[in-house]
Amino acid sequence: MNAITPNATALPAPVGLLAELTHRCPLRCPYCSNPLELDRRSGELDTATWQRVLTEAAGLGVLHVHLSGGEPTARNDIVEITQTCAKLGLYSNLITSGVGGALAKLDALYDVGLDHVQLSVQGVDAANAEKIGGLKNAQPQKFAFAERVTQLGLPLTLNSVIHRGNIHEVEGFIDLAVKLGAKRLEVAHTQYYGWAYVNRAALMPNKAEVDRSIRIVEAARERLKGQLVIDLVVPDYYAKYPKACAGGWGRKLMNVTPQGKVLPCHAAETIPNLEFWYVSDHSLGDIWANSPAFTAYRGTDWMKEPCRSCDRREKDWGGCRCQALALAGDAAATDPACSLSPLHAKVRDLAVEEAAETPPDYVYRTIGSNVQPNVRTPLNEEAPL
Amino acid sequence: MTAPFPTPKPDEAQRLLSPQELEAALRDIGARRYHNLHPFHRLLHDGKLNKDQVRAWALNRYYYQAMIPVKDAAVLARMEDASLRRVWRQRIVDHDGDAPGDGGIERWLKLAEGVGFARDYVESTQGILSATRFSVDAYVHFVKERSLLEAIASSLTEMFSPTIISERVAGMLKNYDFITKDTLAYFDKRLTQAPRDAEFAIEYVQKHATTPALQRQAMAALTFKCNVLWTQLDALYFAYVAPGMIPPDAWTPGTGLVPEPAATASPVSLAAGTGTITALDVPRLPRGVRLRHDAVRNQHVLLAPERTFDLDANAVAVLELVDGQRNVRDIAGLLGQKFAADPAVIEADILVMLNDLATKRVLER
Repeated sequence: MNAITPNATALPAPVGLLAELTHRCPLRCPYCSNPLELDRRSGELDTATWQRVLTEAAGLGVLHVHLSGGEPTARNDIVEITQTCAKLGLYSNLITSGVGGALAKLDALYDVGLDHVQLSVQGVDAANAEKIGGLKNAQPQKFAFAERVTQLGLPLTLNSVIHRGNIHEVEGFIDLAVKLGAKRLEVAHTQYYGWAYVNRAALMPNKAEVDRSIRIVEAARERLKGQLVIDLVVPDYYAKYPKACAGGWGRKLMNVTPQGKVLPCHAAETIPNLEFWYVSDHSLGDIWANSPAFTAYRGTDWMKEPCRSCDRREKDWGGCRCQALALAGDAAATDPACSLSPLHAKVRDLAVEEAAETPPDYVYRTIGSNVQPNVRTPLNEEAPL
Repeated sequence: MTAPFPTPKPDEAQRLLSPQELEAALRDIGARRYHNLHPFHRLLHDGKLNKDQVRAWALNRYYYQAMIPVKDAAVLARMEDASLRRVWRQRIVDHDGDAPGDGGIERWLKLAEGVGFARDYVESTQGILSATRFSVDAYVHFVKERSLLEAIASSLTEMFSPTIISERVAGMLKNYDFITKDTLAYFDKRLTQAPRDAEFAIEYVQKHATTPALQRQAMAALTFKCNVLWTQLDALYFAYVAPGMIPPDAWTPGTGLVPEPAATASPVSLAAGTGTITALDVPRLPRGVRLRHDAVRNQHVLLAPERTFDLDANAVAVLELVDGQRNVRDIAGLLGQKFAADPAVIEADILVMLNDLATKRVLER
């Protein structure tokens, strides 16, 4: 048994669909992966369109559907959409905050065949968690939601996004996952795109804290073997090689926004001049194979040095395009998180510098905000955009 | 025209063998009966045992190691020839060392500590299987009660041990991340000691087994010794692999160990459905884990939270029989019929696979 691995030459069949059903969310996390410019309710796809998209996805070979947002249970048709997944044999994963109307809809979701729940937790201490999420009284709602998930016998994953505001709570997240009966825990260090990029200085932990968190996770993995699976995503800025973002551009994942725009990853819109296609104009198969956004960085032809001749080029596919743009000013550059990038040392220095400063206040996400993308200057100031 | 009766032949079983034939006959016993052929050793060397199963092996085998000098002292006590004793006493030195902290028993304790045991617990031998104790004690009694020739012949399993040791060291280092070269230091020494000892013993047996009857006694003694080793592995397999019947008072996983340094020492009770799956457990795929045929890629996959497992034909055959009703033994039996194979071997194999999936939290019992 192996994880499905992509074949570098043929057009790969997509494995996962991230369905961002809505950008509405009761939480306001400062590291949200949604774009700075959030879609409004009036522009969201209707139920029938989502059902068509899911049917096309199943035909293309998609196996997992991640029902996400914003808060996916904010949609009135979440039960119908989940039922469609079940009918198509698609594995449905509800990525939820567990607050607002989530608990009220949970039993109905279970009845129509929901497969898995991923619940976000912002912190362990309630006051800290609610400061990060920007919503009072969220923590008790999340615990009540988790309790019902495990009562129903649904598998539960806790997702904790780690940053300097909660990195001291990593042990607590592990204990909490065990206490809530989760089978999996994601200890995901913040990835600095979207809102997290805006808030980077408020979020960046220092290297010693990061190393400590990794040691804690490794010890807990051994101690809890067979009981809790812990997935660890380490912060890019301190890594040696970049991650294969979304499993490689246009190789495994598709992301459909609330308005039906199809992206190779949730941050792809930060790259200027990419042409995205909409599900209202094209079939999903056509978009996957032919849309300019997907073909732009699929495979290795677009690569420059040092990626082009690198042995790892089909392992990490050059890292993250959005991060290359944000930090190097060029989406086709080597991801500066890679130690082979000429900008890598600067990235690391910047992380060290920011982590040493007193953190600024969070910029909370809101719909209709006037926060501008790319508020920071790329590291390579001469790089053309 | 044929004779009314066949010409009488000397009975093969009663013929006096040449020294070379005797050695060949002894080696043949090893080729058929030495414990490197035992399924437990196959699992051990192939990396298919879990950490607790390796621990059970190390713990039980300690008693054998600890009694070897007792056995050799008994042999020594029967030797009336000083030149023989000078050679034989080296075996006791090898195992006991010349000073505390030295010798084969000490190195075995290091191995047991290396897999997590507390030294006191191992030395107490309170957790070993009764079958281990009976087998080892039988060996000690044997060398006291039988002739010196038989006592020496019974040590001839050393002729076969360099092969098993190199297989074991290579296999264990490759397959278990909790085994290090230091842990296995015991075997480094045995690689040179065992051939030296065996060479002396075979020469002795060749020289002193001077009649057909004495030669058969020597062969029977070696067979007995092979059985002493084999029986210990049978008992380990029965208690810790399949069916997993651990006798009362024998070691159970989680006990006798040095507490592992944990970041937080909060006690955690095992969640329902978790823990080691044994042959009589009924495995099931919990809600949220589904076996599915993927028509686009034309393969079966196991869909689980945030992951997909590609399945080969064997894995599919097993998982199609995992229905929450059948136990592992029933599943192995059905597969045995389907593939005309030994269900016991299948059982051991699928227990490894099922426990691997259980560790990943996609299979429960």
